[in-house]
Amino acid sequence: MSEQQEVVERELTMSRGMVEAIAHEMRANDEVFYMGEDVADYGGIFDSTEGLLDEFGHDRIMDVPISETAYLGAAVGAAQEGMRPIAELMFVDFFGVAMDQIYNQMAKNTYMSGGSVSVPMVLTTAVGGTYNDAAQHSQTLYGTFAHLPGMKVVVPSTAYDAKGLMHNAIRDDDPVVYMFHKRLMGIGWMPAPDGPKTPVPETDYTIPFGSADVKREGADVTIVTLGLHVHRALDAADSLAEDGIDAEVVDLRTLVPLDRETILESVRKTGTLVVVDEDYRSYGVTGEVVATVTDEALAHLDAVERVAMPDIPIPYARPLETETQPQAADIEAAVERTQ
Amino acid sequence: MSADSRVPVAVDDIWPEAADADEGVVINWFAREGTRVSAGDPLCEIQVEKADADVPAPVDGTLAEIVCAEDDEFERGDTLGWIAPV
Amino acid sequence: MVAISELQEMYTDMVTARHYEERLQEEYLEGKQPAFDISAGPIPGELHLAAGQEAAAVGVCQHLRDDDTVTAPHRPHHVAIAKGVDLKRMTAEIFGRESGLCRGKGGHMHLFDPDVNFACSGIIAEGCPPAAGAGLAAQKRNSDSVAVAYLGEGAIDQGGFFESLNFAAVHDLPVVFVIEDNDWAISMPKERVTDVDDGSQRAAGFDMPGVRVDHDDAVAVYEAAERAVGRARDRNGPTLMEIQVHRRMGHFMGDPQTYRPEDDQTAATERDSIDRLEADLRARGVEDTTIKNLRDAAEDRVEEAIEWAKDQPEPDPETAHEDMFANPPSGVTDTDPEFDLMGGDD
Repeated sequence: MSEQQEVVERELTMSRGMVEAIAHEMRANDEVFYMGEDVADYGGIFDSTEGLLDEFGHDRIMDVPISETAYLGAAVGAAQEGMRPIAELMFVDFFGVAMDQIYNQMAKNTYMSGGSVSVPMVLTTAVGGTYNDAAQHSQTLYGTFAHLPGMKVVVPSTAYDAKGLMHNAIRDDDPVVYMFHKRLMGIGWMPAPDGPKTPVPETDYTIPFGSADVKREGADVTIVTLGLHVHRALDAADSLAEDGIDAEVVDLRTLVPLDRETILESVRKTGTLVVVDEDYRSYGVTGEVVATVTDEALAHLDAVERVAMPDIPIPYARPLETETQPQAADIEAAVERTQ
Repeated sequence: MSADSRVPVAVDDIWPEAADADEGVVINWFAREGTRVSAGDPLCEIQVEKADADVPAPVDGTLAEIVCAEDDEFERGDTLGWIAPV
Repeated sequence: MVAISELQEMYTDMVTARHYEERLQEEYLEGKQPAFDISAGPIPGELHLAAGQEAAAVGVCQHLRDDDTVTAPHRPHHVAIAKGVDLKRMTAEIFGRESGLCRGKGGHMHLFDPDVNFACSGIIAEGCPPAAGAGLAAQKRNSDSVAVAYLGEGAIDQGGFFESLNFAAVHDLPVVFVIEDNDWAISMPKERVTDVDDGSQRAAGFDMPGVRVDHDDAVAVYEAAERAVGRARDRNGPTLMEIQVHRRMGHFMGDPQTYRPEDDQTAATERDSIDRLEADLRARGVEDTTIKNLRDAAEDRVEEAIEWAKDQPEPDPETAHEDMFANPPSGVTDTDPEFDLMGGDD
């Protein structure tokens, strides 16, 4: 940070960083509005709209019927009219009841129209496990959304990133899927790990999509990850440092676009790649990152490991969920296997 | 500045109306000791009977001391921290 | 007139369900006070309790046999109890134990008991299509079994519900759709998300009978369900029922309900369908001691189930990787067939 820059002292939880950006954009642009289940009086089950009703009222912070096809599709339609809707899917796991509007309409209309139509909307959605909510409420589905072309996919891991990425998401003329991890939001009843609460400037700022962030520099191994597992990787890196292993942690921040260059640059330096993902192992983020490196930097790659959810629905009981979810210890073990 | 001039960060005024309980938990601090705070800005967040409430900074100043850290329990009437006014 | 023995059975199930939810609430809050942490304590994760909704469960399920199918939503315990789901193994599942109904994999929103054809899903309205499918199977097999889909009033705006009504109607399937109207979809009051007061009006658009039971009176539900289930069993097609119930607790445990007017919360606890049925029993000449014995036995059964469940071992973490498929991944064979195909390369 250069000396003329202001030192930011105020710290926010990730939910507050996200909400601050939404509020700022809503003040600046009357065409921005927010729709979702329990987003008004409740303030979002995971605090994604906490406090917005008081300032903007029910006309712009809209509770909607439990009709995802209708209201996500309505967001597509309003966006094509030029408005800037933000529509929330309460849990990403609920995507199935409205997937046509998401991937056949929202994601494809710009391209199918030959660029004559745009869909400037944000689809916000809560992702992730760690609290034993079982198979229908715990997935991240990062790979699913990133796989289907036409959506920009954002996964913040800190309050600072959440705010800057949300500003960019709302101003962007394309559909952006903004996936916030429940465990990172700073909710009272779901305590966050240390890390997502960061200093956040009061002014607005935009973080470009496709710019991964090196959350920890290191020389020996590159750990590429996103969301909650940025913090688990940082924990693992601290522990590995005690054993003399210096890990670099790359936070992807967006899956579409994917910042391949930052990954490659890091692997060219360390020669070792460990990819950590809270989504299913096969056909997903870990495979894509590994393939990127083997395509472009195979000669630099001495060892590679993946740590991800096994290809099974997420089980309920605590020992079963813990078994399936990548823990910091699993990341450490994977790194040690590469050394 | 003497210790006496410090202003307590208190919870009585923002205690959730519906809550029967007299104990709560600090969920989040939004400032660290030694940093500047502005009157009215959320200083920390507490949870009482599953409901969350923000505790605003009582005055402009510096957060001199955090008495109840995150995850600490406290009772109604307790002081969560101290502000040194400017 | 409903037989006294049936009233007593319904009363027993209602008391069982109420005591069950109250006790689960206590168990759930263990380790979650004063800081409410959803992942702490002996029962982690979300927990949606159904106290105040018992009449809808017993009044319908009283007409059902083990071979009839029931699908329930995310708030399933009262319906499971009324359907005769194994209480001990259901409780073990909620505590995440190895001997739970689903070996600890499902949890409280995903209970399956094939012995009594009971299943539930945590996705709103998504129990409706499988219930229609159970009805379809009964129809194709010339069986007189029926299917019942339970859903909340918040689910009547969901596509899966509308499509199922039409599918069941056009094929005259033996299905009863039961809307439990507790006035609240989490924080959203009914009037904010739908323009009809009476969800059973949805039936008219699908040319099936729609009936609403305006108060959570087990006897009134029983009588309305008798016609609906009878119609299905006699192969005369589906019925849509809506039953007014009350959400005495939050949407989920941990819901601060700050959005809900206090008088609404109070009203929900004042209208008690269990008291109402108890008064009916007395009016029909059932002695206080008999009522007390029914209640005591129900409560004992709940305590026994909870104690049993808590004594069960947790699942071995390795079992997380089991149960993925019914057959091996290769299907019913692991051997390629041997044919000499004309024109092949061999």
